[in-house]
Amino acid sequence: MALLAGGSVVVRATQAYDRPVGAARSPRNANYEIEVRLDPVMHTLKGRETIRWRNISAHATDQIQLHLYWNAWRNADSTWLRERRLGGGTAPRPDTFGSIDVTSMRQRRESDTSTDLTPQLRFIAPDDGNAADRTVMAVTLLAPVEPLQEVILDVEWNAKIPRPFNRTGWIADYYFIAQWFPKIGVLEDEGWNTHQFHFSTEFYADFGVYDVRITAPSPFVVGGSGRQVEQVRNANGTTTHRYRGEDIHDFAWTASPHFADLHRTFTHATLPTVDMRLLLLDEHRGQEDRYFRIVADTLRLYGEWFGAYPYGYVTIVDPAYQSESDGMEYPTLFTGRSRYLAPSTVQVPESTTAHEAGHQWWYAMVASNEFEHAWMDEGINTFATARVISEVFTPNDLERRYFGGSVPWAFHDIRVRRDVDGNRLPGYRLSPEADVPSTPTFRYWPPTAAAITYNKTALWLNTLENLVGWPVVRQSLSTYFDRWKFRHPSPDDFFQIVNETAGQDLGWFFDQVYRSSNTFDYAVQDLSSVRSGNSYRTTVVAQRLGEATFPVDVVTTFGNGERATERWDGVARRATWVYEKGSPAVTVQVDPKRVLLLDVNYTNNSRTVAPRGEEAGLKWALKWMVWLQDLMLTYGFFA
Amino acid sequence: MIRRALADGYRRVLSAPALLCGVFVLTFLLALPLAIAMRDMLTAHLGRSMTAASVADGVNYDWWQEFLAHTSGLGATFTPSVIGFAAVLDNVSSVMDAQPEAAPVAGALAAYILGWLFLSGGIIDRYARQRRAGAAPFFSACGVHFFRFLRLAALAAVAYWILFVHVHRWLFGAWANINRDLAVERTAILWRFGFYVVFAVLLAAVNLLFDYAKIRTVVEDRRSMIGAFGAAAGFIRRHPGRTLGLYTANALLFLVVIAAWSFVAPGAGRGGWSMWIGFAAGQAYLLVRLALKLQFMASQTSLFQRSLAHADYVAAPVPMWPDSPAVEAIGAP
Repeated sequence: MALLAGGSVVVRATQAYDRPVGAARSPRNANYEIEVRLDPVMHTLKGRETIRWRNISAHATDQIQLHLYWNAWRNADSTWLRERRLGGGTAPRPDTFGSIDVTSMRQRRESDTSTDLTPQLRFIAPDDGNAADRTVMAVTLLAPVEPLQEVILDVEWNAKIPRPFNRTGWIADYYFIAQWFPKIGVLEDEGWNTHQFHFSTEFYADFGVYDVRITAPSPFVVGGSGRQVEQVRNANGTTTHRYRGEDIHDFAWTASPHFADLHRTFTHATLPTVDMRLLLLDEHRGQEDRYFRIVADTLRLYGEWFGAYPYGYVTIVDPAYQSESDGMEYPTLFTGRSRYLAPSTVQVPESTTAHEAGHQWWYAMVASNEFEHAWMDEGINTFATARVISEVFTPNDLERRYFGGSVPWAFHDIRVRRDVDGNRLPGYRLSPEADVPSTPTFRYWPPTAAAITYNKTALWLNTLENLVGWPVVRQSLSTYFDRWKFRHPSPDDFFQIVNETAGQDLGWFFDQVYRSSNTFDYAVQDLSSVRSGNSYRTTVVAQRLGEATFPVDVVTTFGNGERATERWDGVARRATWVYEKGSPAVTVQVDPKRVLLLDVNYTNNSRTVAPRGEEAGLKWALKWMVWLQDLMLTYGFFA
Repeated sequence: MIRRALADGYRRVLSAPALLCGVFVLTFLLALPLAIAMRDMLTAHLGRSMTAASVADGVNYDWWQEFLAHTSGLGATFTPSVIGFAAVLDNVSSVMDAQPEAAPVAGALAAYILGWLFLSGGIIDRYARQRRAGAAPFFSACGVHFFRFLRLAALAAVAYWILFVHVHRWLFGAWANINRDLAVERTAILWRFGFYVVFAVLLAAVNLLFDYAKIRTVVEDRRSMIGAFGAAAGFIRRHPGRTLGLYTANALLFLVVIAAWSFVAPGAGRGGWSMWIGFAAGQAYLLVRLALKLQFMASQTSLFQRSLAHADYVAAPVPMWPDSPAVEAIGAP
């Protein structure tokens, strides 16, 4: 990024040669041919892969760095498990661990021979120097790889599949296999960007073609990223499933003998047709309509708003209970989330499924760095998902679960709202100052990272929508999608497009919401009307309680229906307005349209001369009293 | 015998409406101070805000979550579960899952249990004698039996403590172990409810035992609570079909009431008269629940009295005022 004299920012790509090759959609510089065999008795994988990697950065490199994500569960001192403990997580049982061991790595030479690099393999910990962490491996190549030059590596490995950890692993005969193969990091112009596996962040990888052969016992139904191109039954009772995915940057797969393999087609007047494949477990039979409908709605709305989903196929996985694989996205494949008891007016499985489907845009195609800027996929997607749900899912009742989460109860009186609940204000409100969003995400405090990554971003995007309008935000996001699909954008790329589309410098806004952890809280400090001759002198005092600033309207309504609207820049600690009117004031509201969704305390934003707090307090105290009496009677059993 | 005990219990409850009123007043008055405290908290948080209008007229879940974010202790118990039938689910669930209650609520619950311990002697005495006795003899019986029941409650507390602290942990620890390998939620739910049933049966067994211990204490004017406990166990052992059958029948009645409430429980409602109608409906439901609790006591008392074969069966109390119900029964023409 370079700052020009006029103050405008010129952003350049993180990789000098990140443009698509030929007719491809992406640079296709990280290509994998993988063969893997699942042993469901020992819960192991045995794999081999050929990596064809092209250097698309501006500089040569003499080494390759690879992620070995499953080593996050190799020992209790991995960075992932250390960070999990910060949030109060307990040490995992020894039988839950998983691991990955590279047994061989050879670099091909032009003479059709190859050189064994295995002795040179070493683990590095670029983020925290943790010697016990083995999630990143480096190897020195035979010679430096110049920009646009290709290197071919043949890798063999063995892996022990963990019990479910972070959306991967096995439980009973259900397997969800993600982040499972030695995977090359991203070489940016500034150097290798290969972070260790962290508890509160996800992944980052270059695009390529994945050609994967998965061999599993024949009763297993297998689904994977990409499209199934071949299925061969072997003599030993196994079947080899071949999947091929183009212009994707990861590959995940699943296997279970209990999947029903269901297909429906998404069609649209202007968007490409998509074959939707749903792998649905027995206990959720009957929910296929809900899954297909919400995925179709997401493909339609995201397609209309941001840009077309181009692949023509997508696989939806209905995850098994306790598999921890629910709610996770991979290119052209994602998992939903459902429950055995799922009331029709409650947004399960819709909410999670829409969110993960939406990640096909914000993550799978616009491939921002999830280690460093997780808000760019999770936050933007949370904002957009809330929009989808509010458009297509009504009524949307609040649900609470009882008896250990077994029994759901839908509250028909309480509707889940997009602005507050969809954007997750309650979670953000609990820790609004936890981290500055511009901090690299993997350095966030793990227990509160999600509140900043998902919630705060969704809230400020919705605030931005309220500020500049949905057409501007939609245009910004569609431009951002169009310009950065199949590439790796940085935060400034996004901000630049928003400024460009809005036709104004919104830097002040991004400074408040992105480069600061300050809290927004505006309030009415005083409202008084005093008779003065034939008129009333009304004094209104608005107050800024939080450290963050935002321009807000202050609207005073008088007894004769007259309204006075003041635009306050919200910078000073307080602002006072005095009116001489024929009637006394009856109400005053700061930000009456609730533009600023990040305001953590909205109740203090208004004041009325005819308060109904006592009536409201009485009504709900009576409700609460019946609850308490019922509880007394329940405990009265023991008397 | 069970049907007759049920009907007789029903008759005895109806013939002493003052008792129902009394326990209703107890339930009301003990909840009232905390409800007033809750009202003050809600009112204070809403202040003179315009938000209060939407809170009064319906549900403002946005405000609700804001309130919860800024409160703790008693305030934290104000969750959506207070609405309608969710309250029952929440409360039964919290007992079955051995969830701790907030300190002020726990205090109210302790006071309520003490209140019932005090009244139980008078209530059983009244049901056993089957005649109006007036307030003085009623409270006299309450006073006479209160300290006996406190001693009995100490025994019961030990039993419940074992159940909630050790057995519950063991049962649901076992569930967790089974659940760990389950990939099908339906199976997990079945297992969990299986364990709930086991736990509920154990609770009911202890409850049944102490119910009859109280009845034998009152009816036979027993002074030794260990003796009453043993006598209750003996009675149940000699009449397992009747005692368990009656208990089950009463429990089924309870389930019917709960099921009916699930259909008619009012939702959030609005302010004004709607608020009072909702509250009245809640009180009516509680009244039925209380009547059911009294029905347990009355029908079990009836069953015990009907099972007395002859005068030798009861202890022989010294015939001085106030005579025990058993003496009175024997002396009756």
